[in-house]
Amino acid sequence: MATISIKGLTKSFSAGDDAPAAVSDLDLDIKDNQFVTLLGPSGCGKTTTLRMIAGYIVPDAGTIHVNGRLLSARGSVVPPDRRGMGMVFQNYAVWPHKTVYENVVFGLKVRKTPSAEAKRRVADALALVNLTGLEQRYPNELSGGQQQRVALARSLVVEPEILLLDEPLSNLDAKLREQMRVELKRLQRRTGITFVYVTHDQAEALALSDQIAVIHGGRLQQYGAPQEVYAKPANRIVADFMGLVNLVSARVTGPGTAAVAGGLTLALALPAGSGDDVEVAIRPENIRLGASASGPYATISERTFLGNITEYYASLDSGPTLRVQTHPVQVFAVGDKVSIEVDASQCSVFRSS
Amino acid sequence: MSVEAIASPVRVSGPRTGLRLEHIVMGGAVLCLIVLVVLPLLSLLFGSLRGEQGMSLDNFAEVLSGRLYVNALKNSLILGAWTGLFSLVMGVSLAWAVSRTDVPGKALIQLTASLSYLSPPFLTAIAFVYLFSPNAGLINVLVRDVLGLPFLTFNIFSMTGLVLVTVLHTFPFVYLLASSALLSVDASYEEAAQILGASKMRTALTVTAPLVAPAILSGTLLAFVNAIALFGSQAIIGLPGRIVTLPTRIYALFDYPPEYGLASALSLLFVVITVVALYLQRAFLARRSYVTLAGKGARPQLISLGPARWAVLAFVVLTFIVAILLPYSTLIAVSFSKSWGLDFWKGLTLANYKFILFEYNVTQRAILNSLGLATVAATIAVLLGAIIGWIDLRTRIPGRKLLDYFALIPLGLPGIVVAVALIQFWLAMPLALYGTLAILLLAYVGRYIPLGVRAANSSLRQIDPSLEESAQILGASWLTTMREVTLPLIRPGLFAGWLLVFVPVIQELSASILLFSSSSITLAVAVYNLYETGYIEPVAALAIINMLIIGAAIFVANKLGGGKIASRSGPAQGLAS
Repeated sequence: MATISIKGLTKSFSAGDDAPAAVSDLDLDIKDNQFVTLLGPSGCGKTTTLRMIAGYIVPDAGTIHVNGRLLSARGSVVPPDRRGMGMVFQNYAVWPHKTVYENVVFGLKVRKTPSAEAKRRVADALALVNLTGLEQRYPNELSGGQQQRVALARSLVVEPEILLLDEPLSNLDAKLREQMRVELKRLQRRTGITFVYVTHDQAEALALSDQIAVIHGGRLQQYGAPQEVYAKPANRIVADFMGLVNLVSARVTGPGTAAVAGGLTLALALPAGSGDDVEVAIRPENIRLGASASGPYATISERTFLGNITEYYASLDSGPTLRVQTHPVQVFAVGDKVSIEVDASQCSVFRSS
Repeated sequence: MSVEAIASPVRVSGPRTGLRLEHIVMGGAVLCLIVLVVLPLLSLLFGSLRGEQGMSLDNFAEVLSGRLYVNALKNSLILGAWTGLFSLVMGVSLAWAVSRTDVPGKALIQLTASLSYLSPPFLTAIAFVYLFSPNAGLINVLVRDVLGLPFLTFNIFSMTGLVLVTVLHTFPFVYLLASSALLSVDASYEEAAQILGASKMRTALTVTAPLVAPAILSGTLLAFVNAIALFGSQAIIGLPGRIVTLPTRIYALFDYPPEYGLASALSLLFVVITVVALYLQRAFLARRSYVTLAGKGARPQLISLGPARWAVLAFVVLTFIVAILLPYSTLIAVSFSKSWGLDFWKGLTLANYKFILFEYNVTQRAILNSLGLATVAATIAVLLGAIIGWIDLRTRIPGRKLLDYFALIPLGLPGIVVAVALIQFWLAMPLALYGTLAILLLAYVGRYIPLGVRAANSSLRQIDPSLEESAQILGASWLTTMREVTLPLIRPGLFAGWLLVFVPVIQELSASILLFSSSSITLAVAVYNLYETGYIEPVAALAIINMLIIGAAIFVANKLGGGKIASRSGPAQGLAS
C-alpha cells in the first residue's frame, strides 16, 4: 500500500570533510510491496537519497511523494517523526541504555499504544526476528547479529508501510550476512512492507531485490530487475559496477560484427555504423577456453584457484588481456596457448566515449 | 514547483510543525548567551570609550602610559612568565616520570596534581602567609629566633613568593596535558625509530618530543592565563609586598569614587593578553590531533631509572609536602590554635570553629549562598552547554559555529573582568541587579559556560547521530528524543561537566569580590574579608570548612554521576567508534 515517487530530486552540500554525497536530478518510482535496492559505490549519493526519503535531509530541488502525498520539496519537508516510516541504520543504532524490550516498545509508547497490546506486539515482533527470551538483555550483551534483529524488530513493531535500510548487513561477518539476507527477503514477503535498501554490495543487491536502482555520481544509471541490470547494463558504468567484466575496445567491421584486436570477431547488435569504435563488455563466465584447432588464440598469463571456479588471465595474441572464469576441472598452465570463444549474445556494446 | 505544492508538506504534517519546541529552546539558549556574554562585553567596550565629554580614547591613553597601570601590567606579565616556566618544568618532569619511567609512587604524583588543581589558590596563599610572613611567619620565626639562621628566612610577600604559590596551582595544567599526550603516543612510533637504529635519547628528542610539544605548550599557556587571573593570591601576597598586578589594580579602581572608564580600559587590555595567549594555545592544540590517531597502542617500554628514581621520588614527595601537606596542615593547626605562633600546640581549642559557625553571623549565610549559587550555576551552565553543543553538532543552522565561539569567549575573561563588565552593563539597565545573588549567578554562569559547552560537546561527539535519528523516525518528537535518548546517553559527561563548574564556582573570588553585598556574600569572599580584617585563627577555621564543603561536593557528584551507564553501554554498537 505504499508507493514512493521521486522526481527531479537534487541535493548538493558545501564542501567539507564529512559532507555527504550529492544527488542530482534523480527520478525513481517505487511500487507497492517491493524490495528496491539503491546500489552504488560509497559516495555515490545512495545514502543521501535514502535520508531524503526519511526526511532527515531537505532537498534543494525535486519532490518525494508517498502514496500521492507530497512529503519533501525544496525548503520544506515533513519531519521524520511525522512520516511513519521505519529505518534500520548501518550501525544498528540500538540504544545502549535501554533493554531489548525497551528498545522495541519505544515506537509504540510514542504512539500511546495501550500497554497490554504493546506487550503483545513486542512479543510478536521479537518472535518474528527470533529474539524471544532476550527481552531483558542490554545491547552490549548481544552479538552483532542479535543487535541487528533488535533494530529490525524496533522498526517493524510499529507496522510501517515503508522500511528504509542503510547498509544493514555491512557490519556482520560473511556467514551471518548470508543468513540475514535470506531472513530479510522472507520478512519482506511476509509483511508486504515496501523495503528501500541501500548497499554497495552488488551480490547482495542481486540476491535481495525486486528492482535495483544503480546510482553513480549522484545520478540514476539504471533501474530494473536484477537479471536485466546484470545482463543488459545500460551503460559501461553499470556494466563495470555489476560484477566482474572485461571492457575491451572493438571496431565495427560490418553489419552486426565487430572485431577486437587479436583476431577476435563478435556478432553483436551494434549501436554504431561501420568503421566506428565501440566498447564491448564481456563477463568472465561468458568466455570459454579450449584446445580447439581454430583460433583465435590466447596465452595464459596468470592462474588463480578460487575453489568453485578457476580464474585465468588470457592474453589475446597482440590484443587485450581477458579475465576468464572456468570450471575448476579444466586446467591450464601459465604459458599455455589456448583457443578462446566468447558468447557474444551475452555481451553488451557501448559507444566509445 | 508551484507554491501550493511547496506549502502542502507543512499543511499535511499538522499543527506541531509550525514553530516547534526545539526552535524555542534553541532561541532561548542563544538569547541567554547574548545576555550573559555578548552584551556585558559590549558595555565594557562602550564604558572604556566614554570620556569626560563624548567618546574618546583617553582611558586607553591613561592605561597605557600611567605609571600605576604600566607597572601592574609589567608585574602581571612577569608573574605569568615565571609561573608558566616553572609550571612547564614541573609539569613535564612529573608527567614524564609517570608515563615513561619506573619511578615509585606514581599514585602520589596523580594525587598531588589533582589536589593542587582543586585547592583554592587563595587558601594556599593564606597558609603560606602563616608560615612565611616576614615577621610572624612560623618557619621564619623558627629559623631566625630559635635556630639563629636569619639568612634562611623567606619573605613570602615578594614576587618569588607569589610565583611559588601560583605555580602550586597551575603546574597541573601542564602535567595533565603532557601526561595524556605522552600516554597517547603509540609505543610503535618510538619502536619504529629504535628499530631503525635511533638511541633512546634520539628517539625521545626526534620522535616523542615533537609529538607531545603542542600539548605541553598549550598547557603552559593555560597555566599563564590562569596565573595572571588569580585575584586572591595576588591580593593576599602581592599587595603587602607592594606588587600590584592587573586584577588588584582593577580592584583598586573601584575604591570610592569608582573609575569605571579606566577599569573598563584596563580590563580590555587584560582581555587582549589572555585572548592572545588562548589563541596561541588553541593553535598549538589543533596541531596535536595526529597524536590521537594512534589508537590502541601497546604501553611504552618504561625507562629504568636505577638509583636515580629515588631522587625523582624525593622530588615528588617534596612537591606533595610543599603543595598539599604544608598548607593544609598549617591551616588545620591554625584553626585549632588559640594563638598562632611557635607555641601554638600548647593552647588547642575549638573556639575558632564555634566562633565561625555560630557567632560570626556571616558564615551560615555565605555557606548557603555559595552552595545555592554553585548548584544553580553549574546546572544552568551544563544545560545551556548541552543545548549549544547540540545546535553545533546536530543542526545545520547557519551561524552555529559563531554560537560556539561566543560560548568559548569567557575562557579569555579573567573573573574580575567579568565582574567589571557585568557592573557596567547592569548599572545601565533599569533592573537593579547589582548587589544581588542574581548578578553573582550571571557572573558564574557566564564565566563557566565554556566548561558546560565543552563537556556537552565531547559527550555528544561520542554518540552517533543515528541513535537520535532512529527515535525520530519512530515518531518521537524532539523533546521525547532528548529525554529518552540524548540526555540519558550524555548524562555521565554532563555530570562531569557539572562538577567542573561547581568546584570553581564554590571557591570563586575574582569576580565575586566586586559583585557581592552583605546579603549576597559568598564563602570565598567571607574568607578573604575575614583575613583582611585580621582574624588570623578564625580564618583558618573558615578555610577548613570551605575545603570540607568542596570535598563533600566532589564526593557526592562523583557518586551521583557514577558509572551506571558507562558500565552498561560499554562496547555497544550504537556508540560511534
